[in-house]
Amino acid sequence: MKRLLTIKALIGFALVAMVLGVAIFAPIFIPEEAANRMHMTARLKSPSGLYWLGTDQLGRDLLFRVMRGARTSLSIAVSAVLISLLLGLPLGLIAGFYRGAIDNVLMRLVDTLLSFPVLLLALVISAMLGPSIPNAIIAIGVAFAPFLARVVRGEVLRVVQMPYVEAARAAGARDQRLIVRHILPNIMPPIIVQATISLAFAILAEAGLSFLGLGTQPPQSSWGLMIQASRDYLDVAPWTALVPGAAVALTVLGLNMSGDILRDIFDPRSK
Amino acid sequence: MMDALPTPADVQEALVSVEHLRVEFGAGEAMVVGVDDVSFSVGPGETLCVVGESGSGKSVTSLSLMRLVEFGGGRIATGSITFKRVAGDSLDIAKVDPEFMRSLRGAEIGMIFQEPMTSLNPVFTIERQLTDGLRAHLGLSAAAARTRALELMNNVRIPEPERRLKQYPHELSGGMRQRVVIAMAMACKPRLLIADEPTTALDVTIQAEILALIDRLKRDNGMAVLFITHDMAVVAQMADRVVVMHRGRIVEEGPVRQIFESPRADYTRMLLSAVPKLGEMRGKTAPEAMQGLSAQPRAQPASRAKKDDINDILLEVRNLTTRFPVKGGVFRRTVANVHAVEDVSFSIRVGETLALVGESGCGKSTTGRSILRLTEAHSGEVWLDGWEVLKLPPVDLRRARREMQMVFQDPFASLNPYRRLRDQVAEPLENFGLGSRSEIDERVATLFDRVELPRSFLKRFPHELSGGQRQRIAIARAIATHPKLVIADEAVSALDVSVQAQVLNLLMDLQADLGLSYLFISHDMAVVERISHKVGVMYLGRIVEFGPRAAVFEDPRHGYTKSLLSAVPIADPRKRRIHEAQGARTMASPIFPLNYQPAPSLYDEVSPGHLVLRPEAGSLWSG
Amino acid sequence: MTYVLNRLLSILLTLFLISVITFAVTTILPGDVATMIMGTQSNPEALAGLRKSLGLNDPLLVQYGRWIYGMATGDWGHSLVFKVAISELLIQKIKASALIVVMSMAIALACAVPLGVWAAVHRDRWQDGVASTSALVGVSLPDFFWGIMMILLFARALGWFPSSGFADPATNPGLAVWHACLPAFALGLGLMAHLTRMTRSTMTGILGQEYIRVGRAKGLSERVIVWRYALANAIGPVMTVAGLQIGYLFGSIIVVETLFNYTGMGWLTYQALLNRDIPLIQATVFVIAAVVMLTNLVVDLLYLYVDPRVRLQ
Repeated sequence: MKRLLTIKALIGFALVAMVLGVAIFAPIFIPEEAANRMHMTARLKSPSGLYWLGTDQLGRDLLFRVMRGARTSLSIAVSAVLISLLLGLPLGLIAGFYRGAIDNVLMRLVDTLLSFPVLLLALVISAMLGPSIPNAIIAIGVAFAPFLARVVRGEVLRVVQMPYVEAARAAGARDQRLIVRHILPNIMPPIIVQATISLAFAILAEAGLSFLGLGTQPPQSSWGLMIQASRDYLDVAPWTALVPGAAVALTVLGLNMSGDILRDIFDPRSK
Repeated sequence: MMDALPTPADVQEALVSVEHLRVEFGAGEAMVVGVDDVSFSVGPGETLCVVGESGSGKSVTSLSLMRLVEFGGGRIATGSITFKRVAGDSLDIAKVDPEFMRSLRGAEIGMIFQEPMTSLNPVFTIERQLTDGLRAHLGLSAAAARTRALELMNNVRIPEPERRLKQYPHELSGGMRQRVVIAMAMACKPRLLIADEPTTALDVTIQAEILALIDRLKRDNGMAVLFITHDMAVVAQMADRVVVMHRGRIVEEGPVRQIFESPRADYTRMLLSAVPKLGEMRGKTAPEAMQGLSAQPRAQPASRAKKDDINDILLEVRNLTTRFPVKGGVFRRTVANVHAVEDVSFSIRVGETLALVGESGCGKSTTGRSILRLTEAHSGEVWLDGWEVLKLPPVDLRRARREMQMVFQDPFASLNPYRRLRDQVAEPLENFGLGSRSEIDERVATLFDRVELPRSFLKRFPHELSGGQRQRIAIARAIATHPKLVIADEAVSALDVSVQAQVLNLLMDLQADLGLSYLFISHDMAVVERISHKVGVMYLGRIVEFGPRAAVFEDPRHGYTKSLLSAVPIADPRKRRIHEAQGARTMASPIFPLNYQPAPSLYDEVSPGHLVLRPEAGSLWSG
Repeated sequence: MTYVLNRLLSILLTLFLISVITFAVTTILPGDVATMIMGTQSNPEALAGLRKSLGLNDPLLVQYGRWIYGMATGDWGHSLVFKVAISELLIQKIKASALIVVMSMAIALACAVPLGVWAAVHRDRWQDGVASTSALVGVSLPDFFWGIMMILLFARALGWFPSSGFADPATNPGLAVWHACLPAFALGLGLMAHLTRMTRSTMTGILGQEYIRVGRAKGLSERVIVWRYALANAIGPVMTVAGLQIGYLFGSIIVVETLFNYTGMGWLTYQALLNRDIPLIQATVFVIAAVVMLTNLVVDLLYLYVDPRVRLQ
């Protein structure tokens, strides 16, 4: 328990909690039209008492936009990671548990897929399907799945060799029971750590996709889209890039910190 | 602190004198005391053994002498370590500055550690690792260092030293690696050699060679040896004087004979009583529980095994062969086979213990696993209670597994860290549907009682228990379904000696009460001598000798059995027999090409039930 | 000898699979080349005619075969957007991207390894805190953000480097490197942060090993222990991670090159995706995946050289 109270843990979890809070509650308190309202006379204003984080090139309040954007970016990232788990977990489990020919074939496929850079895969899938939020989710989820499958398989291989799994088999446990009662609980901690890190990457990926115009489409806003929109105004209004950039950074930082701490907690437990 | 009897080494001439040493780890509330008020001395040419179980502080003591504790987060709080140097002057190691200490390490004090597999840097050649200490301390040139390295290799009797120098650690066997480690420590001719459990991880025949090597080097160089171990038998063989440690303190010290014949401290006596001594069972027919400290002779479990009644055979193994493929090539085809178990046959009667004994890689564990079909055998028959186990379809195999269970070696890895203890013991009962929820709960509680664990442990998790307690849980799980056969695969090897004795006694009690048969797999001859009715000695996958325990131990016939028995250290200082054989032996390999046809195992019966493998059966034993 | 043959076979198999996946992703998903060329409002007859001439009505297997045959004989098709032979485009752009990838990897390794070792040696003290926290922050920012920072600082404010454009390394190496600097730094920073963390954790693990203790027991100095004994064992794992990161780098160049208007493979891929230039998409994706795979192969071979344990397999 002492490990939980380090500064890193506190900051990490606090950041994640804060972003989560904003993502859930901000759209309730900040109606859409408030974020989209264009104050044509107050375009590209730097942060001030009236507009806490300044305004963008259409006079929209950056504070509102970045807070509403949290829900978009976060929900895309969470959905994408869920999809990658949905695809990768069974694949890795089957390959690692049953071994043999099916393992060889599946891993050959996974390894080949891993030759495609994740961002590239996501971009191509998104481009081919047509850029939109659901398609971005599918694209990122599918692109992350091979790596997750590999991690799952590695963990399954480690656990399957443990004497307690053999003892369970010798005690008459059927495959299904072995997987559910013995293998899954023991691979969950490292998978959770990996999922946290994947979440961080998913946020970065969504930002990248949107930055290139192949992710979230206007009029919806996400952080990546905000950064992309700011490109032309960097000289006069750098805050238009810094605000969403900082949002991404803080979220990803919080997630990475949390992932590190989770890994520390779960590791020495095996003793 | 008890007064020590006059020691042979005069204290003024002591090479190392430790006084009131106290070592602490961490700070503030989290501080842990490693050792406290430890005092002893070692004279030149003397071997002092520091003996204790895990957590006794023996390693901390040795690391303090080298001032290596600081690297592990420890510090010497109080006390002094007086060391007499080559030049004659003395200094307090506890107070020298780190840079000066570095010049002492490896030069005047050498140290060897427990794990030969990890003691050598995997990416450097042997030559490099032997010479870098030499060049750092003595400033030798590359050529001079190489000459000295060859000299050292010869000194520790490594064959083909020129070839070995260019090799990497992973190309050497465990025993040879430990020789290299010893050579490294001896490189600058140190006055004191600290050996921290140097043979614990080695096979018994290799251990005998390494012990003899250390002894010879000591005598040749007039060196002092501080030998740390948990094995009382090794102490009996090596020590001039002994220091017994328990929980960070010295409990007793004295000359080796005095410690063994008239120990004064309770802990020492407990330790001695828990150690099985090879040869103790001479003349006795049945297994016997360990005595322990009580004055009353312990009631021996009344065995239910009937004598010589053929109808009582429970398990019969015929011509069991298990091979593992060696894969290679891009398509992962099989290029050779490891003949792990080759044509093994034996039988076990009801209520009887058969021990399979041998060194690492002999196939004893694989035999046990093949019987349970945790590993699939290549050929042969296994008859349990009328079932031919190897040919059972999955449904019937599950049913058969009710009758045979296994206890594994590693108490930490054989329990699922995420399930409660009660659920893990209940698992076999649930799998086979042996009763309602409440009946199973009741049975589990009874099992806890049976293995002498408090019922409050039912709700706990494995990480809350000690090694011995976890092994009891594993035993409870194994007997849950009332099996007829329990295979104990090195079940006590990972336990401290005192705990080991308790678990052995538990096993013997259970055997008497429940009429269990055991297949007891172990490498420890003394333990095997205690617990078994029959013994099978294995080498390279075959049984080379088989028979009643008394016959095999008192009248060994096969060359391998004899060498094994002569290598086992006896826990009696009057029976010393360290002698060096011809030097590092290369192990025969059980890997054969695909088309190799092994000869069948044929035996001579030298006395009723006592079988010895015939040489032409290809046991590959030489010497 | 058999090992080399085995490896070659494996490479061919993987290349084949890469081509299949590339082809599948670009054709099976919705989106029709003909509509992309002519627009959705075009005359249906003209569309049908175009499809026929492009061979889009043939079975997928035939189309795939045609594509593979083309690549094998040097005809990689024509770009719909740039209207030139794709092979010409590729050759130019690969050189450009190679430059920044190599530069960023070199910068990252040169900084990350010493930093990571330093952090590991001073584990849990302030030096470790500073290094690890900086690395953590570095990993948390997207590459294009670093790129924007670079532009703001070095190009706009200080004017040291250009914020866009590209020069051919063959004709003008100095100019090429100058243009490549900012993109390489933008790529390299995130990479350096990641490699620092990896180096630190690898070194920490190694420093806990028994042979390090044995080295100390021999009286070797801490400097030798850390920088020879330990580091020699860390090179292998760190190199492997760096190699895997090449894959990630080739994804990042799409964003970074676009940001800097640096016309390399990444920029080309983005243009292809934006305009649904399917032949170009197929070519760039295939090339990138193949390069990543071959790089991993090279890393594997290098690993053999570094770790003697793997050699005699």
